[in-house]
Amino acid sequence: MAFTIERQAITKWLQKLLESGEVIAPVRGPCGDILFSTIRSPEQVVWNFQNPLHPPKQFVLPQTDPIVTIKRNDERFEVEPTYDDTRRFLFNVRSCDAKGIAFLTRMYEMEPADASYLRRANNLTIISLACNIPCPLGFCVCTGSGPFLSDGYDVQLTDLGESYLVEVASEKGEAAVSGVPNLFRPATEDAVSQRKRLETEAKNHFEQETCHFASAMRRISTGRVPDALWEKMSDSCLECGGCNMACPTCYCFSVRDLGCDGTWIRCRLWDSCQYPAFTLEASGHNPRAHRKERMKRRFFHKVSAQYYQRDATVGCVGCGRCIKVCLGATNMPAVVAAIRMGKWNE
Amino acid sequence: MNDTFLPDIARLLDVRDETPDTKTFTLRFRDLKNAGPFHFLPGQFLELSVFGYGEAPFCIASSPTRPHTLETTVRRTGQLTTALHRLGNGEEVGVRGPFGNGFDVEAAHGKDLLFVAGGIGLPPLRSLIWNVLDERSRFGKVTILYGARTPADLVYKQELEEWGKRSDVEFHVTVDMADSNWTGNVGVVSTLFQQISLKPESTLAYVCGPPIMIRFVVHDLLALGFKEEAVISTLERMMQCGIGKCNHCAIGHRYVCRDGPVFNYSQIRELVE
Repeated sequence: MAFTIERQAITKWLQKLLESGEVIAPVRGPCGDILFSTIRSPEQVVWNFQNPLHPPKQFVLPQTDPIVTIKRNDERFEVEPTYDDTRRFLFNVRSCDAKGIAFLTRMYEMEPADASYLRRANNLTIISLACNIPCPLGFCVCTGSGPFLSDGYDVQLTDLGESYLVEVASEKGEAAVSGVPNLFRPATEDAVSQRKRLETEAKNHFEQETCHFASAMRRISTGRVPDALWEKMSDSCLECGGCNMACPTCYCFSVRDLGCDGTWIRCRLWDSCQYPAFTLEASGHNPRAHRKERMKRRFFHKVSAQYYQRDATVGCVGCGRCIKVCLGATNMPAVVAAIRMGKWNE
Repeated sequence: MNDTFLPDIARLLDVRDETPDTKTFTLRFRDLKNAGPFHFLPGQFLELSVFGYGEAPFCIASSPTRPHTLETTVRRTGQLTTALHRLGNGEEVGVRGPFGNGFDVEAAHGKDLLFVAGGIGLPPLRSLIWNVLDERSRFGKVTILYGARTPADLVYKQELEEWGKRSDVEFHVTVDMADSNWTGNVGVVSTLFQQISLKPESTLAYVCGPPIMIRFVVHDLLALGFKEEAVISTLERMMQCGIGKCNHCAIGHRYVCRDGPVFNYSQIRELVE
């Protein structure tokens, strides 16, 4: 189902969305940088932006995610699950980020499903904005996650100039565009063909950033990446975990009890497979004590055929955030290229 | 929708000292809805909560043939286990589970069984051992070999004595370093192979202990003619969620918490780090 909406009418639509739930959109922060945040009024939404450094995954998988409340009365403990049932609209997220959330949801849906995550995801409506001009560091075209989407969204907007094309792909999407008479008109054939043209143009606009997953996948999956290469690459890793925190598809976590004296909140916390303690056992034994083993693990999880078969995708949406955050340049395209060429920075 | 991370409350019925740093905890679910039998397989594990300290995985050390209480044997090594060791009778903990695949008990029907345990590696095998002994007629010859660093490090001392006395069990125990009261075997557990006769073609071997001990024992078993599929172990990894989501225990694309922790040696060799 496709509609168009006039540019000026978006405000009215956003007002309607604000009445029915929390709206999260890219806004300009106090220091001028762009970030995803809950908005109070439609004017806060920015339309021309490059992706914020942090993906919107925190709205389905908060960095500190309360999952169980624990209370102590004398010697007796009571536990209750903690759910977040807030209805949320994620507005103007880029294609890669919409795909990132679709990836996380697939992971948490896998049996046994994770009720805590799914409650939040089921209440989230994703309204994505297709990228007419890809961002300089993006390589979503290599991961099938942009610049335009064919799935992974509830509503996809395309900027047609004076109006937006509004593609609706789900019941949640239908709900988001209903109840506002006269705002949405059925899309004309002209509008649909304009979208197709824009998609083709966008694909021709990619800059040098590319990621040839196939040959790297073949080597990673069959253990044919020399140990010495992992070691050399891992020499550049500072073990900061920035790649994991900024990655839309990273979902590793730890569980901790926060609080004190009789009331605790058991929380799921983001964790990083690049931290030495990630696999440290109580006995002191650590199966991935060396940085090279942890780096190998990260790329096995994201690029191996074993995971590709399970997940039907690589664990990357081509957003380019790891290129931006990594201080040691061990980002996805660089590591994939090194594996393909068999050398690192030579 | 299920409450993925919600623990059930259990009370400690008994806390027993095994060694200076290891205790066995007997648990029973507090709330009525869980008062019935708790279904599990030997080799499966629990996520045990010590409230305020979080939760950690521990194998179930009791047998499913005795379903009204659960036992777990825990060595004091970190914050959570230290806090657990401070708890006494009547105090409450949280339990999630059971998790993991467990031992395939039916596949062992009619077979001779060899158990080889080192130190704190006995608890997961104890669950299977009592399961087998409680249904003794279904299984062939049962041999148990147990080794620990010193006599003080032996767990379940009373049960070891009982196994030693039973005519339907061949039991041998050894220590790496004897003390003045020890009159038994001295040496690593694999030296006990000299004292027993095995039929590798009809025997399943269950091995659990420290990584170095597993390596030597598996090597010896294969040399004795055991097939890789007949050598079964239970792996240990840092585990948090128990359901294959948090990724701590991943080895390649397998998850010790969900695909394991029980693997045969042929499967273990296929795990690529």
